[in-house]
Amino acid sequence: MRIKQNEVNGISVYRVNGDIDIKTSPEVKKSFDDDIKLKQEKIVVNLKDVGYVDSSGLATLVEILKNMRAYGGRLKLTNLSAKVKGLFEITKLDKLFDIFGEEDEALASF
Amino acid sequence: MKAAIVNDSHLLKEVSKKLIAALREKGVNEDIIFDIHVGFEEALRNAMIHGNRSNPGKKVLIEMEMDDNKVVIYVEDEGGGFDHGNLPDPTLDENLLKEGGRGVYLIRHLMDEVRYENGGRKIIMVKYFNRERL
Repeated sequence: MRIKQNEVNGISVYRVNGDIDIKTSPEVKKSFDDDIKLKQEKIVVNLKDVGYVDSSGLATLVEILKNMRAYGGRLKLTNLSAKVKGLFEITKLDKLFDIFGEEDEALASF
Repeated sequence: MKAAIVNDSHLLKEVSKKLIAALREKGVNEDIIFDIHVGFEEALRNAMIHGNRSNPGKKVLIEMEMDDNKVVIYVEDEGGGFDHGNLPDPTLDENLLKEGGRGVYLIRHLMDEVRYENGGRKIIMVKYFNRERL
């Protein structure tokens, strides 16, 4: 599991590499802590290199979204594989998250 | 494959890796493997955390049978059982931000057949390799 974070025009961009599951969820959540504390209003999470997500991974992303919504922040997900996107569709979480095909589209949507 | 593993969620990934390796060796389609991967880990996670309540003294029994057409997976915990028919629907608007019930919901949608025995302590899941979801 590797998470790289950088800033593009005031938008915090996270690129996650690896599974988001019961084992890695605490690490994923922790990596967003600083931005949440600073009330970063715009976050993009690129999931291009995430091949597997379980329900604890979904719950972690929901928690980050909830924390951001509490201060009016907006979270966008991009580059989901067909199978990972399928999990969001099955659980109807695609109604909760803004999901984009490419990172550029997400960045331009703010 | 048959195993009884102690209630340690780190072992979950180890057992899961063995199952995936066996499925790949069998030449099962990667999309099908993904569904089995999620279904199996969700069932194991439920057994350890909700069934056995993360008690390190308790075990989870796992059994798998595989042939050319399907895999049958049994996961049984040593907890007090649960009423699988009485879970909240995690896809309702009012539940989307809550955590509960999503794992069981995923199992039901990703596996082809799911049933419970022994008061909910045992889940039996079937996934077929060569057919569309019924």
